[in-house]
Amino acid sequence: MIDVNAYLGHFAFRRLRHNTARELLELMDRKGIERAAVSSASSITYRNAQSGNEELAVEIKAHRDRLIPFAVLNPAYAGWQDDLKICCEEFGVKGLRLYPRWHNYRLTDTAAIELAHRAAGLGMAISIPIRVEDRRQQSWLVDVPDVSHEEIAALIRAAPEARFILSNGSGFLSSSLGRPNNGLPANYAIDISLLTAVLANELGSLLGNLGEDRLVFGTGMPFHYPDVALTKLEALEAPEPVKQKIARGNAARILGLR
Amino acid sequence: MPLILRRDFLLAGPGFASTISPPLKRWGVKVIDAHDHLHHHGSPEWRENDRKLIDAADRLGIDQLCCSILPPERPTTLDGFRECNRWLAEAIQRFPGRILGYCFVNPGYTKEALEEIRRYVLDRGFIGIKLYNDYQVTEPVLRPVVELAIELRIPILQHAAHTSWLSVPQPRLSDGGHLAALAGRYPEAMLICAHICGGGDWEWTVKALRNAPSVYLDTSGSVADDGTVEMAARVLGADRLLFACDLSMTTSTGRIRGAELSDADRRKILGGNMQRILSRRG
Repeated sequence: MIDVNAYLGHFAFRRLRHNTARELLELMDRKGIERAAVSSASSITYRNAQSGNEELAVEIKAHRDRLIPFAVLNPAYAGWQDDLKICCEEFGVKGLRLYPRWHNYRLTDTAAIELAHRAAGLGMAISIPIRVEDRRQQSWLVDVPDVSHEEIAALIRAAPEARFILSNGSGFLSSSLGRPNNGLPANYAIDISLLTAVLANELGSLLGNLGEDRLVFGTGMPFHYPDVALTKLEALEAPEPVKQKIARGNAARILGLR
Repeated sequence: MPLILRRDFLLAGPGFASTISPPLKRWGVKVIDAHDHLHHHGSPEWRENDRKLIDAADRLGIDQLCCSILPPERPTTLDGFRECNRWLAEAIQRFPGRILGYCFVNPGYTKEALEEIRRYVLDRGFIGIKLYNDYQVTEPVLRPVVELAIELRIPILQHAAHTSWLSVPQPRLSDGGHLAALAGRYPEAMLICAHICGGGDWEWTVKALRNAPSVYLDTSGSVADDGTVEMAARVLGADRLLFACDLSMTTSTGRIRGAELSDADRRKILGGNMQRILSRRG
């Protein structure tokens, strides 16, 4: 299994467990997860997100066979072009993770679109966590809304050559992102971490609307219990080969893994 | 026997066939969802959605669901809660052995609410009372309802949250602190603080309930945060936790599967503690 939605480091508003490379790998072993795309949780609230990328590079250096580095970049912050170069050439990151609401920009800003083009040129996937925490439990210090689906759709349209992974989202059936024949490039996949697999069964509907190549396994660990996503995949009523695609095949294709 | 390397095992991956046994069955305990809902009949899909809930329970290994039906309007009207309780009594017949009923009332209708509770608990076998946000639990208007719950030896499941941000304001929303205060006045009441994982700052709630030993906490909600159940078990004790879903079926199931607990504690949370509450009625 490949988890496209994992993190290391600290989050400003809540203590995380399993947030070192060694602890995360132990957790992955217990849950049967082979590899995970990880980024720095600290970078979400660091003003200079690159500091978190530097910490991540050191932390996972000995574990590159299983932990796939994603860099958090902020295209509204000075020097992001230099940071991208360093992340690519020195840290060997395979993807970017973007937090437009936390980092105070819009995905439709010129710099964000330029970043998406450059990432595509470097063969990097772009992960967009739609939320970090449920808004109801956010600290009294911050009120960070979810990234709007339409803003994401606009970036997807603007950078059709890029590959996107949308994490920690739900409600896709109410937006263009989850509808069939939506006129968008098929260059994005949705991770299952917050989708329902029973009752409203958004996961099943997205399978029907977008096809079996467009959903990927993501847990949100160590913010989340990985068992939640595992339970959703288990509960999903779909043929075993489709579940295997969600569990591994689709992410391997998007991330360019063997 | 050939040596199987860890990496080969991980590459092979687990199977996800839907024919595997329901995940909550592995602990060998009767699993009771202490907080869930059937659907208001104002929705044209209520019958199908009720059926889906039972199907989901089957697939996940949940034996019984303690349910209420809530009307959409606030404040809750007299007719609103009466028809919901009537529909729930019908549903209990429709799904024999699967649904246990909470009688939902607005405690502002004191006389009618007390009559409704007596009727549905004594005549129709409902197991408790569900209160929403018509009043905060520390308001005096609740006292007759709490006193009746004590007399009937039934629990009160109280909607609760502690949050700085709500998209729809709930001016009379109760939180763990309010429940602790009510428990201080009525230590013999069985109070259940609802949805630790759908009630905002769960660390705040757990700490607020630390010194209110008669208050239980249900583990339901859509938030998948790691460590929630472990903190609640460490601070409150596993005896005070009740497995529940509140319509977040797979998230709530995954949470309790993933929590680092002893098997004995997990069995208590999955059903043993709720069984103990239900047995108090005799």
